[in-house]
Formats: sequence, structure tokens, C-alpha cells
Amino acid sequence: MDPVVVTYPDFPWLTLLLFLPLIGSVLCWLHRHEPEECRWYALAVTLVVFVLSVWLFVDAPQSGMRWFLYEDVAWIERFGIRYTLGLDGLSLLMVVLTAFLQVIAVIISWPVKKHAPLFFVVLMVMETGVLGVFLALDLVLFYIFWEVMLIPMFLLIGIWGHKRRVYASIKFFLYTLAGSLLMLLGIMALYWLHGQQTGDYTFALPALRQTVLTSSASFWIYSSFMIAFIIKVPLVPFHTWLPDAHTEAPTAGSLDLAGLLLKTGAYAMLRFAFSLFPEMAQKSLPLLATLALIGIFHAAWVAYLQKDAKRLVAYSSVSHLGLVIIGFAAWNVTALEGSILLMVAHGITTGALFAIIAMLEARTTTRNLDELGGLWHCAPVLSAFLLLFSLASLGLPGLGNFSGEILVLIGTFKSHPLWAILAITGVVFSAAYMLRMVRHTIWGPQGKLAVCHDLTLREYLVLVPMAIILIWIGVYPATFLEPLHETAIYLLNDPTAIKLVGGGR
Amino acid sequence: MNETLLFLIILLPLVCGVFNALVGMRAPRLFAETLAVFGVAASALLTLLMWSYAEGEGSRAVLYTWFSSGEFEVPVAILFDKLSAPMTLMVTGVSTLIHLYAVGYMAEEKDYARFFTLLNLFVFAMLLIVLSDNLLLTFLGWEGVGFCSYGLIGYWYGKGENADAGRKAFLVTRVGDVFFGIAMLWLFTLFGTLSISEINSQASQLTPAILTGLALLLLLGASGKSAQLPLMTWLADAMAGPTPVSALIHAATMVTAGVYLLCRMFPLVSLSPVGMMAIAAVGALTALYAATCALAQREIKRVLAYSTMSQVGYMFLAVGVGSVTGAMFHLLTHAFFKALLFMAAGCVIHLCHDENDIFKMGGVARRAPFVFSLFVAGALCLAGVPMTGGFYSKDAILLSAFAQPGLYYQGVWLLATLTALLTAVYTFRLLYLVFAGKSRGQEGHAPGIMMLWPLLPLAILGLGSGIINMPTLVGGNSWLQNYLGALAGNVPHVSHATEWGLWGLATAIVAAGWLIAWKLYGNFLPAKENLLSRFLLSGWQADHLVEIVILKPFRAVCRFCCYGLDLTVIDGMLEGVAETCKQFGERMRLASTGRLSTYIGAFAWGLLGLIGWCLWRLISL
Repeated sequence: MDPVVVTYPDFPWLTLLLFLPLIGSVLCWLHRHEPEECRWYALAVTLVVFVLSVWLFVDAPQSGMRWFLYEDVAWIERFGIRYTLGLDGLSLLMVVLTAFLQVIAVIISWPVKKHAPLFFVVLMVMETGVLGVFLALDLVLFYIFWEVMLIPMFLLIGIWGHKRRVYASIKFFLYTLAGSLLMLLGIMALYWLHGQQTGDYTFALPALRQTVLTSSASFWIYSSFMIAFIIKVPLVPFHTWLPDAHTEAPTAGSLDLAGLLLKTGAYAMLRFAFSLFPEMAQKSLPLLATLALIGIFHAAWVAYLQKDAKRLVAYSSVSHLGLVIIGFAAWNVTALEGSILLMVAHGITTGALFAIIAMLEARTTTRNLDELGGLWHCAPVLSAFLLLFSLASLGLPGLGNFSGEILVLIGTFKSHPLWAILAITGVVFSAAYMLRMVRHTIWGPQGKLAVCHDLTLREYLVLVPMAIILIWIGVYPATFLEPLHETAIYLLNDPTAIKLVGGGR
Repeated sequence: MNETLLFLIILLPLVCGVFNALVGMRAPRLFAETLAVFGVAASALLTLLMWSYAEGEGSRAVLYTWFSSGEFEVPVAILFDKLSAPMTLMVTGVSTLIHLYAVGYMAEEKDYARFFTLLNLFVFAMLLIVLSDNLLLTFLGWEGVGFCSYGLIGYWYGKGENADAGRKAFLVTRVGDVFFGIAMLWLFTLFGTLSISEINSQASQLTPAILTGLALLLLLGASGKSAQLPLMTWLADAMAGPTPVSALIHAATMVTAGVYLLCRMFPLVSLSPVGMMAIAAVGALTALYAATCALAQREIKRVLAYSTMSQVGYMFLAVGVGSVTGAMFHLLTHAFFKALLFMAAGCVIHLCHDENDIFKMGGVARRAPFVFSLFVAGALCLAGVPMTGGFYSKDAILLSAFAQPGLYYQGVWLLATLTALLTAVYTFRLLYLVFAGKSRGQEGHAPGIMMLWPLLPLAILGLGSGIINMPTLVGGNSWLQNYLGALAGNVPHVSHATEWGLWGLATAIVAAGWLIAWKLYGNFLPAKENLLSRFLLSGWQADHLVEIVILKPFRAVCRFCCYGLDLTVIDGMLEGVAETCKQFGERMRLASTGRLSTYIGAFAWGLLGLIGWCLWRLISL
């Protein structure tokens, strides 16, 4: 395989994929007086995007290139800003996850009544933002999508959220904005330094990787990137926006937050921070691992006390993302592949749990664990799904999360046994809080109940696909690991890999 | 036939379980029940048909590659050899009988699909543990049985305590699983593979320190699943589940998974003398601990639960003294007679109108002689009455312990012998309290035919299973030991005189135990509670200890993290920053008063400052 060769496909598939949701949102906006139609537009567009992404998933890796697909044109030449999109194994999995969860998000949000057209517009704009983050290889382009993602989420929480939505949305917005502004400073600094050195003022990732930096400059710029990403992941102690945002967001918002937005932070670490500053990254890995380990335990312990089921699941996200970061910090192929797989599995598991909690709330009018209970009696299928996804979340082998976790642990133990031992201890606590939630929702004496019915067809459509994929990842992870093998090696070992591809073009 | 067909043994219960999960509630009840029984019966039959595959080194089959990432390769591989074949036959055979019994036992339950699904899935997971040739696959089964056990203990979820008991079982065993997990990670790092056969064959290359570490980790992992010290607190509470569950999971199969794991990994474990001593010690101490607890229990199923714990302790002890034969022999006989005892106890509970308290039973023998005779068959085995299966298997363990040189193992043997006495006492105590005398409580309905006849084969197996490994002393051929061959571990070498002597001692102990029980419980006297009996009843206050030492501090730490750190320190700081910004804004707002005079004033001051600065620059030039 020759990394230098970049084929430009006859058709800009990535661009199509990226802007389809945006087109959909425009269409939707034009028909804003017909909420019914708007909903169908959203469903159709997200489904098309999903089908397209599945086609890419099946077809693209066969090219055998470093980048399965690559699109690169000059955009604003005066400032050296390019429109560069690249799809490799890592982006591919993230894109498929995004497309999948977004379909689910639309189906979940079917009953939304309040400003329904706007809701779906926002949802689709966010899809473009997230896809852009996963595809962009130019720092300005990336930054734009990074911010595009933020505003729809702010609106989702602020308009369609629950009781404390204003507090949560502002906290979320300011917190993440603070991070991304720091990153913007970092991007500008890197741009100037690179320009001064080479005379080539550019924002292209491959070119910027060659910048020679003094250790203090690379420390500051790396930190500015990392703080933005750490806030997004989030790692302790920058995590307190998350429980508020997750809890107050509408279901689709919680799903997107947990499933996608958190992943953008982890993704960006790999794609940008680590690859731009390989030496600083190496030095920072122990610190990252320490934060991640603290996060695993801290979040699990806090989750154990939560009364609000949604908040409990939100904290569980912090705990699981800690394990993802441990996998990065271990810095080997197995752990990295595990981390990426865990990101996918976690997106689905947590998304499904949020969906189920919303279904619970629709039947019982509460999310308070003290008031719930005995749900199996009235909705056995819903309860069975809750049990299934809770088991996945606590890492039962044969389900998706375990596949990611075991790879992370195996890989980590090789380089840092102590980290792995501590991380594996965390599974006891994840079982403790998950089973506590299960105990107080589906088991025990009958709690509060408003209406007693099992899953509707729409709810089946949400949960069954998620369950199937989760079991698939658990039983036959090879489908999802194979596209990753080459990419993982590139991400870890080969600092020259990217620069050979399309650099300075 | 092809080796790959061996996978059918595992997959049949899985398929039937999944099918029941999906359509069980919609299909007719009889269909669901038949399917569940069919799944396990067919795999029992298949095991018999494919028995010859275990010959020699056994047969290995691979289905597909589960994981492949970097150096990490995990094939879905099973090994059907002389250790796993008898175990598979026992698991599937006993499961079939218990499934049949469960059809009768659960006849009144409405939510049968969940029950049979979990029961079938359990058999699937258990078979994975037994047959797997890869530790990660074992782990899949290991966690799988844990989940099924969790779901079935809490089957009657309407009562919060039942669900809590299930959760406790899951969490306590998971603590053990962590150690198993660490052992697995370590083994992979050492060998680059998780294949059990490869690890065993290369184990001798390791240094003693590493071997000891691995052995201890595996021991702790096994302790969790097998309810051994110090992870034993969950088993007694697990009796909240339906009786077939107790018989299948908490007597015959799952709790012996730890023993099986140690036997499977014996080539590695046995290389560490310290590890072996620890295993023997855990086994002997648990056996004694549980036997003392069983002496004071009042619920029939809890007596049996503690006796299971105690008997599994014997099996650990057997592994610890190097006798895989002894461990497996006792595992098999125990599976028969303990499943029998539990199911017979289920019949007794029905006969006594769902009464669990043995102090409120009595006189059952006269009302249900058949149940009585079945129960007696099991009890004789448990007490170790000569010529029963339990006698031979327990004695094989005591003999192996006795044959080990060194004061340490003499002590272990002594503990085990003392436990044998206690075992006889609590077994006969149970018999007297439940079956003798007059009825002291309500009378319920007689168990149906489905609940009785599956017990008969178990009774015959329990009484006669000594034949599996009949010692040469009485004209047997030590079949199991010869069959296991290289897998059998140490073979004790003692003179015939010693062997006879130990048998004599064992017989005397049973007689003594019977006498004591007869003296104390032959005529029922109302229970006298004292400090000792309360202490034993509560399982040496183990739950209380855990509550104080672990759970209370844990909750305190949780509260500190939640209220102390997240809500106070971190959010406090954030809100402090926000508040500062706001205050600053408020200050600034004061300046924009909207009055012209303020602005002119500010302008004047500004101008003055500017001029002053210019002047100062001029002067300093």
C-alpha cells in the first residue's frame, strides 16, 4: 500500500454526505408551515444519509488506501484555507454512528409538537456539523463545523429541554465555547508560526504537522487544543456541564450529546491534537490517563447516588469515556481499536438508555428512581430492553461495550498494567450503579404509573435496530474492527503518513 | 460426525432460550415448556452421542474468530476432552431433570417465558465455561451465568428483597470476576494468547512469583463464583429464587464453576506451592465456616445453601491438595445429591404450605413417604454414610489431604474431618426437624408427578455414583482417575491399612453426628435462642461486617464525590467565575448612567490623564 497515492473519486461522495442534512434542513425550513411534511423530510434525509454511509462502510475500505476517500480543493486561497475532507477507518465508523443515531433521533422525536419544523431543522444542521467535524482535515474547516455543532445543541437544550433548561444550555454553551475559543487561538498561533517558518500560510493539517516548534510553543498550543477537547469528552474536572446538559436536553438531544458530541472530543484528540504534536502528546499521556482514571471512579461513585435516571446515565458516560481515553493513553493498536469500538458501542448503548428513560417517563411522568419500580409487570418488553442495554453498559461480554472494553484493557495492560488493573476495578462500580437503576425501575413493587402499555411500533423501531447492532458488535466485532486496522497503525506509529498524503498540494 | 457439531451442544440451549425470549409468551405454554426441556435434553443426548470425541487428547473445534486486533486473537474454540466431557454430561443431564421438575414447580406461574428463557440461557453459559478452550470465552460464560443467576434469583421481583438478593449475588461475584479479569490480562501479556491448552502447556516457563500471583488471582476469581471465603455472602440470600434455580445454579452447576476453572487451569495452578496452600486453606476454612452456619439455620433452603458452600469448600480443598480426581468426583456426586435435596426440599415446602422454617414443619415423613425416602437418599449422601456416593467422594478428598506430607496439610485434614462431623450433625438435624414427630404447621398440597419422578434418577445416581471412582480397596477400578489420566493430578499413595483406618474414622464420625443430632433434635423442643445460635444464624455476622467495613465508607465516598466535589467545589468555582463576571459587569454598568454630566466628567478626566502623560513624557525626554 502506498500512502502517497490519493485517488479522487469521480463523484464527491463526502461532500454529498456532508451537505445532504443541510439541504434537508433548508427544505424543511421552506415547509415550516407543514410540520407533518417536515418530519418526513427529516426522516427521509437522515435515512438517505444513513444508507449512503452504510454503502461507504461496505465499499470504501476496499480501496486499501490511507484515506478511503479524499476531497481537497482550495477554498479561500488568500488565507491558505482549503476545503479538505478525508475518510479513513476512524472517520468512517464515526460517520456511520452519526448517521445511524440521527435516524434514531428523528424517530424518537416524532411526537415533538413545540416548534416541530424548527426542531428538525436544528437536528439536521447538527448532523452536518458533526459529520463535518469527523471529515474535515483543514483546521479552519474543522473549527467551523466544531462551532456549527454547538449552536443547534444550545437551541435543542434551551428550547425543548426540561425544567432547568436555560441554566443547562447556558452552562453548556459557555463552557464549550470557552474551550473552542482557546483552540481558535491555538490554531491561529500555529498558522502564524508555520507561515513564518516556511512562507506557506496554510491551515491544512498535513502541512501544519511539519511545523517545527519550540517546546514552550508546542506546550501552549497543544494545551489550547487539548482543553477544548477535554471539555468536550469530558474528563474530570471539566465534566460538570455534562450531567446538567444531558439531563435537561430533550431525548434526541441527550442521544446526540452522549452518542456524538462526546465522541467529537475524543476523535479530535486523535486526529488533531495527537497528530500535530506527537511529542507533547507522548508526554501528556500519563496525565491524561490519570485524569481518565479519576474520572472512571469519580463519575461511577457520583452516578451511584443519583436519583434521576437520566442523570445517572449521564454520569455513566463520563465514566465510560474515561476508559476510552485510557485506551488512547496506552498508545498501542489493540487499545486504540478498543477505544474506538467502545466509542461506537457507548454511543448506541447510552443513546438507547436515554430513549428508554424517555419512554419510561412518558408512562410514569417521572424519572425519579425512588418513585419508579415494578415496570416489568406492565411493560415487559420495554423492561427487557432496559435490562439489555443496562447489561451492555455494565460490560457484559457478548454485548458491544465489552468488546471495546476488553481490547482497551488488554492493550493497556501490556504497556501500563497498573492503569488496566485500576480500570478493570471500575467495572464493579459500573455494575453497582447500573443494577441500582434496574432494581428501582423494572424490579421491586409497583411504583408510580400513569398509563400501562408496552412498546408501540415507533418505539420498537427505535430499540430493535440498536439492540441488533449492539449484539453484533459484541458477538462479531470483526465487521467494525477491520476498517480500523490500517488506520490505527497510521494514527499511532507513522507521523509521516499524513504529510505524504495531499500535503502542500 | 464432525468436531464442529460439538458446538451444537452449546448452541441448542441458546437457540431454544432465544426463541422462548422472542415468542415464548405468545406461544402456547406447553410449547414453551417443551422447547426449554428439548434444548437441554437434546444437548445431553448429543453429548452422549459424541462421547468418543473426548478420547485421547480430546477434540478441538473452532467456529470463528471473535476478536482480532493487533496481537490479540481470540478464536471461538472449544475443547471436548476427558475433563470437560463428564462435566458436560453432568450439566446437561442434571439440567434436563431440573427443567422437567421446573415445569411442574412453575405450573402456577404466569411469567413462565422469562423463567425458561433464563434457565436455558444459563445452561448455554454454563456449557461455555465447561467446554471453552479460551479464557475470554470462559469469561463470556462466567459473566453469562452470573447474569442468569441474577435474573433468576430475583424472579419474583415484586418483593424488593428478592431483587436485592439477585443484585447482591451479581455484585459480590463481580468482585471475584475482577480478579479473574486481571489474571486474564496478565496471562495474555505473558503468553500472547488466551488459549487454555497453550497456557497450560507453557506454564512451567514462568517464575514462581508470577505463578503464585496468577494462582491467587484465579483463586479469588473462583471464590466469587463458588461462594468461598471471603466472597461467600451472596449464596444464602440467593435462596430467594425459585427452588429449581437453587437446585440448578446454586447447587449443581454454577457454584462449582470455580472448582472447574481451577481444575482446568490445574497445570498452571499446581506449579505454585503457595497458591495450592491458599486454595486448600480457603476450601477447608469455608467448609468449616459454612458447616457451623448450617447448624443454626432455620430455613430449609438456607441449610442446604450453607451445606453447598461447605461441600464446594471440600472441592477446593481437593484441588489444593492436588487431587483433581477428588474434586471432580465430589463435584459430580454432589451435583446429583444436592440437586436432589433441593428439589425434594421444594416438594417439602409445597407440602408445608410454602413454609420455609424447619421449626414449623415436622411429621412430613408420615404424610409423604416417597418424598421422605428421596430426601433421605440425598441426606445420606450429604452426611457421608458409608456406601453412598457422597461417602466415597468425600473420603477420596480426606484421603488425599491426609496423604499430603507436612504439618500444614495435617491441619487442613483435621479441619476437614471436623467439618465432616458437623455435616453429619446438621444433616440429621434437618431430617429430624422436617420429617420426624408431629406436624407443627400448616399442611399444603402434595407435589405433582412432574415434581417427583425426575428426582428418582437423581436419588439412584446420588446413592450409586460411588461407582464412578470406586477405590481398588473394595474391588473398584478407580474409573474416573484412570479416565482423567494425565489430567487427574496427584494420586495419593497410602497403605491399605491407613485407608481402612480412615474409612473407619469416617464411619464413626457419621455415627457420632447422628447420635448428637438425635440427642438434640430427636424430640422437638421449641427453639432456644442464644448468642451463639444468633451468631451462626447470621453467618458469623458477615453481612454486618461488610456493611460496616465496605458499604458505609463506600457510600460516604460517593456522597463526598457528589455533594462535596461536583456540586460544591467544581460547580462552585464555575459559578464563582460566572458571578465574578456578572459583578464586574454590574460595576461597569454603573458607569453608563445615561447622564450627560457623568460622561463629560469622564471625558474631562480622560483628557487630563492624556495630557498629563504627554507632559510627563516630554519632561522625561
